[in-house]
Amino acid sequence: MELAEIITPLFLSLIVGGTFVGIVFGAIPGMTATMAVAVCLPLTYSLGLENGLALLLGLYVGGISGGLVPAILLGIPGTPSSITTTFDGYPMTRQGEGEKALRIGIVASLVGGLVSLAILYLFAPALAEFAIRFSYVEKFLIILFALTVMGALSNNMLIGIFSGFLGIFISLIGTYDISDGGNGEIRLIPPGLEYWLESGFSLLPVLIGLFGLAAILDEAEAGVPKGQSAENIKTGRRSTFSFAVFRGQIVNLLRSAGIGTFVGILPGVGGSAASILSYSNARTFSRNPERFGKGEPAGIMASEAGNNGLTGGALVPLLSLGIPGDSTTALLIGAFTLQGIQVGPLFIGNNPVTWEAMIVAMLIANLAMFAMMYFAIRYLARIVTVPKHILFPVILMMCVIGAYTINYGIMFDVWTLLIFGLFGWLAVKLRLEIAPFIIGFILGPSAEIYFVKSLESFGSLSIFFTKSWIAVVMWILIAASIAGSIALSRRHVPPDA
Amino acid sequence: MDNLNQITVDFETSHLIFPTLIAIILAVLGLAIVITRRREIAAAPGYWRSVFARMDKVRFFGTIALTVLYFSLMVPVGDFWPNTGLGFLICSIPYLLLTGLLFLHERSLRKVAPVLVTALVAPVLVWWLFTDLFFLTLP
Repeated sequence: MELAEIITPLFLSLIVGGTFVGIVFGAIPGMTATMAVAVCLPLTYSLGLENGLALLLGLYVGGISGGLVPAILLGIPGTPSSITTTFDGYPMTRQGEGEKALRIGIVASLVGGLVSLAILYLFAPALAEFAIRFSYVEKFLIILFALTVMGALSNNMLIGIFSGFLGIFISLIGTYDISDGGNGEIRLIPPGLEYWLESGFSLLPVLIGLFGLAAILDEAEAGVPKGQSAENIKTGRRSTFSFAVFRGQIVNLLRSAGIGTFVGILPGVGGSAASILSYSNARTFSRNPERFGKGEPAGIMASEAGNNGLTGGALVPLLSLGIPGDSTTALLIGAFTLQGIQVGPLFIGNNPVTWEAMIVAMLIANLAMFAMMYFAIRYLARIVTVPKHILFPVILMMCVIGAYTINYGIMFDVWTLLIFGLFGWLAVKLRLEIAPFIIGFILGPSAEIYFVKSLESFGSLSIFFTKSWIAVVMWILIAASIAGSIALSRRHVPPDA
Repeated sequence: MDNLNQITVDFETSHLIFPTLIAIILAVLGLAIVITRRREIAAAPGYWRSVFARMDKVRFFGTIALTVLYFSLMVPVGDFWPNTGLGFLICSIPYLLLTGLLFLHERSLRKVAPVLVTALVAPVLVWWLFTDLFFLTLP
């Protein structure tokens, strides 16, 4: 099938519709881009791969971008990745420059999205071509590296790595799959649950539970805070927006977009790290660092270019190595699985049209996001007033549909949703890290195959160090990420500790 | 030296190699966490007391109870009309209404009306979309 045949009116409307719904999810505090993708995943069943991806990529771009609306207007980040947008966006709103701040954020989001898309387009095929040469040994080491990087960038390295390995452990419940070269024996199943857990926990109910139900339980625990009333939403028109505000900020925009993309490429590191790093860099290199935090447009630009830079970056490891760059792209693996397609180094080469369709979808999603938000911002600002008592029950119902239909009607998958919804709520309380857990859960079965098959083939543990120069480089990177994390944590230890 | 590294994998028990290795790593990491964060772990009872003190217990446990009830009833109700998805539809309407009311702060008629309309319209729309349009099975 040619690309032109894929770009149909349905394809385009799914991107635009997805982007709009994503903006709504992003703009309502407590709801995220990940939740939007989790809830809408079952809709992709009947859409086919390209159309399904069009919808999900629109949701992703819209979800990341929508977070700036409440961040600027209310000082409440709509998504975790817009935390730094509140630092300068909300002060601008209080000074009567809300609309100007929103437009600055929207333009910066577009720049971030487009730069990261360009990097994705250029970088992912090259990395995939390189990764095709990897044997099981290198593939196993890549997963190990992904887990250590995630751990290193977590709030606490030990807990981050523990969470990743816990995800792997839980993914191993069930049969050692014959189709992957295993012996077909079951393991780790509690007595009496063999019938239900023979194939382990299904990925999508786990994801929907962790990102849909857990988030709503978290809101319920806080009493489902009342939505904002329309009277509180003041966009302010004291000074009008002009593109002149970007004069002298091109370097800031490009640097922030680059940082966001790079953070996105690192597996399992979310948008909050992207925007915090971009923001702190912008402040460091600014001629007026004292203005940051008081309504400095450059701060909004850095934060928003950074978090939207994540969108393209997070797809790089997914499409070249099969390792998701963040929680939302982890859900995209579910969309590929639904269509029977495995993502990894061979994906782009074997599915060139799907790859191009994804790039086109991302481009259109970014442009649609810009058009919708830039020209209709006064109306979109009212999204933050949508009542949660209406939305949350509907989302809960959609979670059930997603979980139930994933394996064509297995009620245990719905209970899995509840189990992991409760686990997700508890994990946050126990300070476990959800992103490494999820990446561990997704990559665990592959890691097992790569590890055991390497041992079966070579009969020696030393093969993990001596197989190739790539293996040596991977170990150096693993050691460097752990050492870097230890050095960073020592620097942050309070003097009295 | 090389002999120390030699490992022969018995295919019959190969399903236990990786889980055992991961369990050992988890135990070592868990121990390291206990040692490095012993102060926080010792303070856990106080932490949980404050979590429960601040918690909106009615909304939190109410959501869980309604969800468990919703999941439990869906299949038995659906068995009355097999392969129609009516179990999902019939159970979703009261579930949406009750969770909506649970999440609502001020239960005046003006506020309850949209919850009621959503509880009726959303499940019917989704049920129609999935069973009639997408031909997917619902309980």
